Amino acid sequence: MFPHGNRTGEVMGLSTDITNERMKYEFWLSSIDGIGPKTIKQLMKYTSGAYEIYHLPPADLMAVRGIGEAEASLIFESRKTFDIEKEWEKLAEKSIHFITRNSVQYPERLKEIQDAPYWLYYIGELPSDEEMSVAVVGARACTDNGAKWAYEIGEKMADLGVSVVSGLARGIDGHSHRGALAHGGKTFAVMGCGVDVVYPEEHWKLYEDILEGGGGIISEYKPSTAPRPKLFPPRNRIISGLSDVLIVVEAREKSGTLITADAALEQNRDVYVLPGRINDINSRGTNRLIKQGAGIILDIEDLAADLGLRSDGGAVRKRNLELKLEKEEFIVYSNLDLRSKGLEEIASSTGMSVPELAVIIMGLMDKGYITETDPGKYRINAG
Amino acid sequence: MYSYVKTAVLSGIDAIMVDAEADVSDGLPCVDMVGFVSGEVRESKERIRTALKNNGISLPAKRVTINLAPASVKKSGSGLDLPIAVSIMTALGIISQNDLNNVFMVGELRLDGAVSGINGMLSYVLKAKEEGINKCIVPMDNLCEARLVSGIEIIGIEHLLDVLDAVSGKKVYYDESGIPVSEGMPDSSQTILEEQEEGSSEKLDFSDIRGQQVLRRACEIAVAGMHNFLMTGPPGAGKTMVAKRIPTILPPLLPEERLEVSKIYSVCGLMDGKRGLMTSRPIRSPHHTVSAAGLSGGGAVIKPGEVSLAHKGVLYLDELPEFAPSALETLREPLEDRKIKITRAMNTVEYPADILLCSSMNPCKCGYYPSNRCTCTRQSVIKYRSRISKPLMDRIDLVVEAAAISFDELNGSGSNESSAEIRKRVEKCHRIQQERYRDCDINFNSRLNPAMMQKFCALGEQENALMEKMYDKFKLTARGYHKILKVARTIADLDESEKILKKHLCEALCFRMETEQGR
Repeated sequence: MFPHGNRTGEVMGLSTDITNERMKYEFWLSSIDGIGPKTIKQLMKYTSGAYEIYHLPPADLMAVRGIGEAEASLIFESRKTFDIEKEWEKLAEKSIHFITRNSVQYPERLKEIQDAPYWLYYIGELPSDEEMSVAVVGARACTDNGAKWAYEIGEKMADLGVSVVSGLARGIDGHSHRGALAHGGKTFAVMGCGVDVVYPEEHWKLYEDILEGGGGIISEYKPSTAPRPKLFPPRNRIISGLSDVLIVVEAREKSGTLITADAALEQNRDVYVLPGRINDINSRGTNRLIKQGAGIILDIEDLAADLGLRSDGGAVRKRNLELKLEKEEFIVYSNLDLRSKGLEEIASSTGMSVPELAVIIMGLMDKGYITETDPGKYRINAG
Repeated sequence: MYSYVKTAVLSGIDAIMVDAEADVSDGLPCVDMVGFVSGEVRESKERIRTALKNNGISLPAKRVTINLAPASVKKSGSGLDLPIAVSIMTALGIISQNDLNNVFMVGELRLDGAVSGINGMLSYVLKAKEEGINKCIVPMDNLCEARLVSGIEIIGIEHLLDVLDAVSGKKVYYDESGIPVSEGMPDSSQTILEEQEEGSSEKLDFSDIRGQQVLRRACEIAVAGMHNFLMTGPPGAGKTMVAKRIPTILPPLLPEERLEVSKIYSVCGLMDGKRGLMTSRPIRSPHHTVSAAGLSGGGAVIKPGEVSLAHKGVLYLDELPEFAPSALETLREPLEDRKIKITRAMNTVEYPADILLCSSMNPCKCGYYPSNRCTCTRQSVIKYRSRISKPLMDRIDLVVEAAAISFDELNGSGSNESSAEIRKRVEKCHRIQQERYRDCDINFNSRLNPAMMQKFCALGEQENALMEKMYDKFKLTARGYHKILKVARTIADLDESEKILKKHLCEALCFRMETEQGR
């Protein structure tokens, strides 16, 4: 058994080396500007891969259907200018991983979809094939209500050990990531730009938190690609492709979110939406999805049940209440909610005077039980 | 023959002495007017000529030269008609120059010789008194206002020819109440004051406001330390109702302030002399379409703006984000310097503008944020707020929410504190501050500068620890930190506490302006 095992080891080692070498060529091919997925599809049909393409004489390349002079010259040009070794090292320096559809790391779920990307770049991790993952997407210009629910869904998913996949965008995306992180969950962001580009910029902290929380930043675009409007619709198919279920929190009609929902339906994913008032523009899209047969989220527990997940029912407040609170603090705390309340509302429901209340509120904030959403407005801290 | 009459023109809210000189000499018949005169003064030439003619005084076929000295001061306003006419009459020998040596006069002429009232009478008479003049001849319309200044003889006239008797003292003049002018002024200002005390409040009272204990508390703090403040809240929560009642909890004007405020109103023609000097603090609430000049003063003929009319009182800006940014930004200087300087190519005018800025706005476009009724997106909420510039926000110390009130509160029977009770506390607090700052050139906590704060807002160990924590937690800036200290100082003063304690800081933190944007 021993020699056999040993030999296997050797073979494995060898093949890893070969794979590694070949990956560099794949990486080279993925980096050529102007060679899109269609060209790649043709090339892959008639060749054994990037290694062969790199070494093919020009005439043979042109023989491939769909490869014109333009494409061929692009490929030749980059053979000369692209320093594979150097660029590959750069990738490692930035701790960016590069995988192809044939890599073992390539997510199974994503493989299933029709136009799965040939390559993926990522920093951190990829969603595990063994664990369930849920995509939470929605409008960038979301309402506070939408933000609240995105956050709570993120939290709940984290509680249930489900990964949250989204797009790091402003609004719903950001809130779902944050919710998941607040409860120690893993969350993954699929980017419409290079994985080393933080877009939107103000989410740099969230970007770091996602990586710190054991999640990942994923993109099919090569590093340093700047965000462009046309790059976003294609990445939406990856968001839904990486997930088992798509949850739409808020969407306008004709929005990127609905593109994701369409992609999810094509990919045979379940779609759940948060219903809204019919006159809110941010609910027009979600309500339309309901009309088309999407599942409705009645509340968080209901969602968990629909997803076949058992909830352990530990409400945030209850957990926080196990912590020690003074009597007055308890009165104020139990009058607060996840929706933020103004001082006036708190004062009239607790019957306390403003000076008394101020001390208690600052105390609770100091201890981290509540947060301030706006000046003079407070809600209980979910984190 | 040469003659002169003492008169004055307005500059800002003060008058500048001017001599109206006239000379009649041989030469081609004409009337010349020199001495840096503006358009409306140049027009007076025609009015005077006609008024004189209609009263049987025709100008001789000689050269009449009128000079307004000093020539370095721009002359504007219509109050120069009367002195110029009298000066010409003197030059013609109708009036003796000796009778005019210690007489001051202003007034506008009509074509028939009638004398009509002008703005700024209070400033004119004060100036005349300052110059040691013992007789003032003023239009009858302005008599009451002019007589608010004591220690100087005031004669009201209705017609140009009345001047003849007035200067020679031949006739006894009566004022509107039938009291001979020379008998001296009865102490009417006192009686008027008392009358006004009752009438001025117009039965507005803080006890009319239901619920809103947070808002009431914030108003009390703001007024006690003269902190500029901002109310946010949904439409119909009672923001305007509260603002209108703020003067009722302000202490009455101090004697020296009364005169200053009255002068501004007098210059603007808004003074009702019969009611005496202004006693209650003014509240001005310009509509949000107000122009920059309307708000801060200016215009072709420079006039005080709303910010000066609210001097020593309250400037209430309802729907703050709706004001034109160009108008709002002009408030920066007066909020900092307590006065406003308006500079034109020809002259510079300074108006006092020591105000308590009270403003209100909806929290978002639809007005209901953060309640469930709000249909705004987070971005649009932030965008709505960003309509107010940071520099202006920096000058606002307190922010308070005017919450929508519930039905129970609306129909509640429990009566709220009255303005009088609140005012007692505010007055006490003002006294504490005046005592503390007697060696400084400030009166209120809100005017503290960082150097003074080191001295007057020193924190204990515990308090320092709290602020250190909160500084990080709320991501405060140095300016934000100072604002909290100032407000905490006022809260401590209301509490009659020598030291700023933790509870005072906590409350100040609840009303603070700065917040972490985003999320």
